[in-house]
Amino acid sequence: MPSTTDVEKFRAAGRFDGPLAAAVAFGALLIAPSFLGDYGSQILFRFLIGLVLAQAWNLLGGYTGLVSLGTSSAVGVGGYALVGLLNHTGLPLALVIVLAALGGAALAALVAPALLRLRGLYFTVGTLALAEVLRLLMINLERFGGASGLILERDPPELARLVYIAAALLLASTVIEFACARSAASLLLRAVRDDEDVAAQVGVRPFRVKLAAFAIASALMAAAGAVQALKLGAIEPYGMFSLRWSVDALSMVVIGGLGSRLGPLIGAAVVVLSGELLADYPEVHLALTGVLLIVVMRFAPGGLAALAALLIARARRPRRVPP
Amino acid sequence: MIGPEAIASSLIVGVLLGGMFSLTAVGLSLVLGVLRLVNLAHGEFLVVGAYAGFYLLSVAGIDPLLGLPVIAAGLALAAAPLYRYLIAPLAGRGAEAPMMTMFGVLIVLQNLFLLVFHADTRSIETSYSTAALSLGTVSVGRIYVIGFVISVTAVALIHLLVTRTEFGRDLRASSEDPTAAAIVGVNVRRVHMLTFALGAACAGAGGTLSGLAFSFTPSSGASYLLNSFAVVVLGGLGSVLGTLVAGITIGVVQSLGGVLLGDGYRDAVALVLFLVVLTVRPPGLLAGRR
Repeated sequence: MPSTTDVEKFRAAGRFDGPLAAAVAFGALLIAPSFLGDYGSQILFRFLIGLVLAQAWNLLGGYTGLVSLGTSSAVGVGGYALVGLLNHTGLPLALVIVLAALGGAALAALVAPALLRLRGLYFTVGTLALAEVLRLLMINLERFGGASGLILERDPPELARLVYIAAALLLASTVIEFACARSAASLLLRAVRDDEDVAAQVGVRPFRVKLAAFAIASALMAAAGAVQALKLGAIEPYGMFSLRWSVDALSMVVIGGLGSRLGPLIGAAVVVLSGELLADYPEVHLALTGVLLIVVMRFAPGGLAALAALLIARARRPRRVPP
Repeated sequence: MIGPEAIASSLIVGVLLGGMFSLTAVGLSLVLGVLRLVNLAHGEFLVVGAYAGFYLLSVAGIDPLLGLPVIAAGLALAAAPLYRYLIAPLAGRGAEAPMMTMFGVLIVLQNLFLLVFHADTRSIETSYSTAALSLGTVSVGRIYVIGFVISVTAVALIHLLVTRTEFGRDLRASSEDPTAAAIVGVNVRRVHMLTFALGAACAGAGGTLSGLAFSFTPSSGASYLLNSFAVVVLGGLGSVLGTLVAGITIGVVQSLGGVLLGDGYRDAVALVLFLVVLTVRPPGLLAGRR
C-alpha cells in the first residue's frame, strides 16, 4: 500500500531512534517508578502494555501487510493462560508469562491454515470473527469461569514490580522489532507485504513468512495480556477479549505511523495520554481516537512519525541567503 | 430432550431469519463487489436502523414498518457524503486504507451510540413483534414472517435493479473493470457513491427489522457485521440469489445451534461455520487484487 515516498518518509522517521536511544530509555524506566509515584506509574504501565501491543501489531500490519482486528484473541488467551497456570501450578511467574506467550503463538499456528490463506481484506474480517468466537466461547464455557471469569488466587505484585515486568516485556518486543526492521527478515516481510506473488516467484515462501510474523506478534500480544491479567487480579471474558484491545493496537500504529519504528511509540503516547486526559469520558476518548484515525488515514498516511520527520526536515533545510 | 416440534419450528424460524440476514448481507456484498471495500461500519448502519425504528415508534408513534422506506432513504442520504469525503479521496491507496477508515467510522459511531443511547438493551415493542403465528403444530413469531417477506421482496428488487436497469449495467461494468467502464463513459465514482448509499439503505432497513425481532445494544454492530459477512462469504460475491441461499443457510444453522447447544452458542455456531467456509473455500474473487 505505501508508495516509495512513504517508505522514504518512514526511513527518515526511523533515523531518530536507535539502539542507543532505546538503551537510555530503558535505563530511565528502571528509576521511573520511584520518581513517578502511584498515579504516574499507573499511566506508565498502561503506556508500556499499549506500546508492546502496538509494536506487535506493527509487525503484522506495518511490516507484513496483515491488518488484524484480532488483537483481543491473543490478549485474552494470554490473560486466561496466566491466571490458569498461576492458580493450578507452582511455576515461577517468569516461566508462566513465557508459557502464556507460547499459548498466543500456538493460537496463531492453530488458526493460520484458515486465516493466512486469506488475502488482505478477508484476513482482517477473519481475525475479527476469531476474536468474536473466542469471546462468545469464553462467556459460555463454565470451565473457564463463564461470563463472570476467573480470579487470581494470589495477590498481584506491587505496582513498581508490574512496571518492571512490563518494561522487560517491552525490551523483548523492541529487540524483536529491531531485528525485524534491520535484518534480512525485514526484506522477507516487506517482500510478502508488497507483492506476495512476486515474492513467491523469487523463492520466498509467503505462508512461512506470514506465519512467523503472526506467531511472533501473537506471542507478544499474549504476553501483554498475561501481564495485564496479573495486574487486574481478576479477569472476565468481556474485558479480556474486548474489541477495545484491537481498536487500541490498530489506532496507535496508524496514528503513529504504519510500518515505522517510531510510529508505535508516538501512537501509544498519544492514545494513552489522551485517554488519561479524558479518563472520565471513555466513549468521548474512543470517538476522538476514531476521528483522529480517519483524519490521519486521509491526510497523513505515514502517521504522526512521518509528519514530524517532514516538519523537522523542512526546519533543517538551509535557507537561501539573499546576495 | 428436544422434540421434533422444537426442531421443526427452529428450522422454520431459521429460514425466515435467513431471509432477513440476506437483505443486510446484500448491502455488504454490493459494496464489497463494486467498491472492493469491506465496510466495517456496516453493522453500525444496522444499529442506526434499529434505533431509528425504536424512536420512530416511541417518540413519533409511527409504525416502524411504515417508516422503513424513510429509514432506508435516510441512511442512504447520510452514507453518500461518507463515501464522497472519506472513501473517494483514498482511491488508488489500496484496499486497506478505505477499510481502516471505515473502522474509524465504526469506532466513532459505536461510541456515539454509547454516549447518546447508553448501554441499555432495547427492543422495538409492537403488537406484531411478540405475537405468534401458528402453522399446524408449530408456531413462529409473526415478526419473522413479516421480516422475511419484506426482506426477500427487497432482495428481489435489488436483483432486478442490478440485472435489468441501466444503473445495474453501469454497476456491473464498474465492478468488473472500473477503468474500462470509465473509458466507455460510465461515471464510476457516481456508481460507487450510489452503491455505497444502497448498501447503507439495506443495512438501515435490515437493522429496523432486526430491532423488531431481537433486542439490541449500542455495541451490537460487530455481531451484525460478522453475521452479514458470513453470509457474503458463504454465498460468494456477485450473486444476489447466492446471498439469499447463504442467508437462509446461516439462519438455519444459527437457529438449530441455538436449540441444540443453548442460546449462548447461536452466534458462535454461525461464526465457526464462517471460519470453516473461509478455510475450505477461500474466496477467489479478491485474490491477487489488493
